[in-house]
Formats: sequence, structure tokens, C-alpha cells
Amino acid sequence: MMVIPRCARWLAHYCFVGAALAGCTAQQEPVYQDQILALGALVDITLWDVEPELAARASAQLHADFDAVHTTWHAWAAPAHPCAHNGTCASCTAQPRTLAEINERLTCATAFAVDPALLPLITRADQLARASGELFNPAIGKLIAAWGFHSDEPLPPPPSADSVTNLVAQSPSMDDLHITGNTLQSSNPAMQLDFGAIAQGYAVDLAIQHLRELGIHNAIVNASGDIRVIGKRGARAWRIGIRNPRGPGIIASIDMEGDESIVTSGTYERYFEYQGTRYHHIIDPRSGYPASGLVSVTVLHTDTTTADAASTALLVAGLEDWGKTARALHIKDVMLVDQTGKVIMTPELAKRIHFEITPAPQIEIRALP
Amino acid sequence: MTHITRVDMVVIALALLLLPYLYINYWGDATRGEQARILVGGEEFAVVSLHENKRLSIPGTLGISLLEIHDGKIRFIASPCRNKNCVHSGWLSLGGEFAACLPNRISVQVIGRQARFDAINF
Repeated sequence: MMVIPRCARWLAHYCFVGAALAGCTAQQEPVYQDQILALGALVDITLWDVEPELAARASAQLHADFDAVHTTWHAWAAPAHPCAHNGTCASCTAQPRTLAEINERLTCATAFAVDPALLPLITRADQLARASGELFNPAIGKLIAAWGFHSDEPLPPPPSADSVTNLVAQSPSMDDLHITGNTLQSSNPAMQLDFGAIAQGYAVDLAIQHLRELGIHNAIVNASGDIRVIGKRGARAWRIGIRNPRGPGIIASIDMEGDESIVTSGTYERYFEYQGTRYHHIIDPRSGYPASGLVSVTVLHTDTTTADAASTALLVAGLEDWGKTARALHIKDVMLVDQTGKVIMTPELAKRIHFEITPAPQIEIRALP
Repeated sequence: MTHITRVDMVVIALALLLLPYLYINYWGDATRGEQARILVGGEEFAVVSLHENKRLSIPGTLGISLLEIHDGKIRFIASPCRNKNCVHSGWLSLGGEFAACLPNRISVQVIGRQARFDAINF
């Protein structure tokens, strides 16, 4: 009499638990993820709770945005229709619409009007260069080219000491670029612009702006590691892993939400080796040689354009002066890794970061000056 | 009162059958990657299991990139690009981790049942 009802109860219980488990695992989280192989960047987009058709439109829009930024701001492309001959731009009539065309016109001393669509990034780069004390210096395109980093595959040997000294002595900087309305004029014939340390951040900002215009408010745009997050992942923040600059895997993670960017500049990203020495792509405009002292600099800021330029400026500033540069650029959250693997962080960032490697690295918390 | 009936047997059998499923789902590390998605030129080329040890030759725009899958991990072991950034990325095993050989237009991303990270900064 008693046995059957008890078994029936068990059976009912198991069925219930089983059904609940099946229900839990079958339930898909509303995450849309797409990977876009745009020109010059691998772009990962993650959207939370967005209709599939809208998500597909967002992917297409971002693909076009990243391609357009690449085409417009490519640092070493040749101008589509070359017009400068022997240092004169007399036959140049059209307004430059790409950085390559601007660089061609900069070889002549005359003033020229540019497509107004180019001005926002030029003026932003100008402000950031000045605020960083020219440690982020987008006017040293000739130096970058001399090092061979105007190529998808940088090759040894490094430039001769004489040519580096020469290029540094000409000291082109954004101070030499005079911007009046949409007219540019350079007072330094050695100036060639290279926006490699800012254009990708700018593309991410543009992408986020376009997502918002599409009505998307919970998203991540990740362009080859340069990230901006908006909103949240449902009930929780977005969780971002920071790749270990000195080995495989993830060194630390951080929760981000609302509207925030994270960018890391590292000496391991682009480099070549020559006679046992590694030469990386972040060139100190003061010495003309790859910046020394730090392996990577991670910076958080609202917009990715600022974070991108700032991470480069701090890496160039080096172990002694990064704090001053961060303060000048209004950056509070900084994480540095030096050549010994020691991690240096500002107290603001230290509160939020979670180390993912065991044993945890040696950590020093250093407040900004 | 205490003798085991056929219904009891069924219940016990069901419970035992449920065990492996529960173990895999709730005791397994849900952040480990299960599969990897390989893109060539931005288009999905293949989704591969990380539990079958093997090597894959993926044709890109410059040539063949060689991938290795071993014990739940995947890595580039050779690629026709000079810097070998993809090879230096090493093993990928956590959901969300990825590596790419941009010159060869090939990328690999680990897909976990529950990604440990939503995005990876580098």
C-alpha cells in the first residue's frame, strides 16, 4: 500500500527535476556574435538581446565602417591619383580624401583644403599629440617608414644610425601642422602623417556611434584587441580578458559596463629581429628608436580614440614618466607590464582587476603623480 | 514495506542514467572550449571539435596555415606570414580566445558552452 505512492512520488520528482534541467540547458542566451575580417582588422562584435535582422544590419554597417577607415587612413598606401611632381603640387586640384593624398600634399609647402570629413580625426590627433607632450606623435611617418613598419611584414635590417639621427633632428610634430578651417599647411617639409596609433580606436568609436544610431545599446566592438563596451550583458557586466603580454593565455580580467574602452599597446604586436635584437613598432619620437622599458600598457577611457593614442604615449613615456603623461591625458586606469614581468597599476584600476594566472605576478600599485 | 518493486528499479535505473549527463553538465568546466570556429576571408570555413586530436591544413590567400588540435586546445603551428603572430599566440582553450593570421586571412576562435570572457583585449 505504502510502496507505490512513494515510488510514484520519486518518479514525479525525477521527471520534474529532469524537465527543469532540460529547460535550463535548452534556454539560449540572447547573445549575437559575429566576426568580421575587415581590411586590416579582425573585428569581433557582440550584441545582447538584438533581433537577428537588426544584428545582421549592424554587422554589415560595421564591416563597411572598418573598411572605410582603413582605406581613408592607411598610412602607407599610395595616393589614388598622384599629382605632385618634383616638390610642386601645381597640378593637384582635388581636395585630399585620404591620408595618402594628404601626405602627398604635405611634401609641398603650399596650403591645401581637405575633405571636411577628415577633420575630426586630424583635430583629435592634434589635441592628443599636444596633450601627450608629443610622445604620441603622428607626424613621424618618415621615421616609421624608415624602420620598415610601413609594411604588412616588417623586415630587417634596422635603419642606419645616421638616418635615424637625421630624421629625429628634423623633429616634425603636430605643432608644424597649421589647421585653419579645413585648410592644412605644414611648416616642416619632413612631416608625414601616420595615424597607426589612433585610427583603429577611431574606427571603434565610429562603430559604437553607428550601433547606437541603429538602436543598439548593449554591445562590444573589439577590433584586433581594441575594445569599447556599451551597456551590459543582461543582468551582469561584460567580462573582458586581457591577454598575457609575456606568454600565452590571459593575465587578468575586468568587468566593464556602461560606456568604456580598453586598449593595450604592446611591444610584442609588431616587430622584427636582427642579429639577436628585437625591434618593435612603437618608435620613441625623441630618440628615433623603439621605446624601451615597458612591454605593454593597458589604458581604460571612455572613448577608444583617446585610449588608443594614450596607450602608445604611455609606452613611449616609459617606466619613469608614464604617470605624468597619464595625468596630462586625463587617464586614471592604467596597467603596465615591464620587462621583468612586474605589473604596475594605478589604485583605481587595481580595485577592478582580477588576475587569472597562478602564481599571480609581482604587483606594484602606484598612484599618479 | 522495504522490498524493492519494479517501479523502484525503474526509478533507480533512471537516476543512474541521469548521472553522466549531470556530471558533464554541472561538474565539467563549462568555460573550457568545446569547439573552434575557423574563418577564412571572413567566411566560416569549419567548426571543429577540440576533443579529437589532429592537424588541419587550412588554405588562405597566401598559402596553407597549419593548425593543431590537442586535448581540448587548438593552436597555429605554421603560417605563411613573417611575424608569426598567430603562432606566438600559442594554445587557445578558453571560450572567446582567438588568434588570427591576418595576412593569410585566417582566424580561429574557441567556442565554449559558456565563454569565460566576452571579449579579449591585447
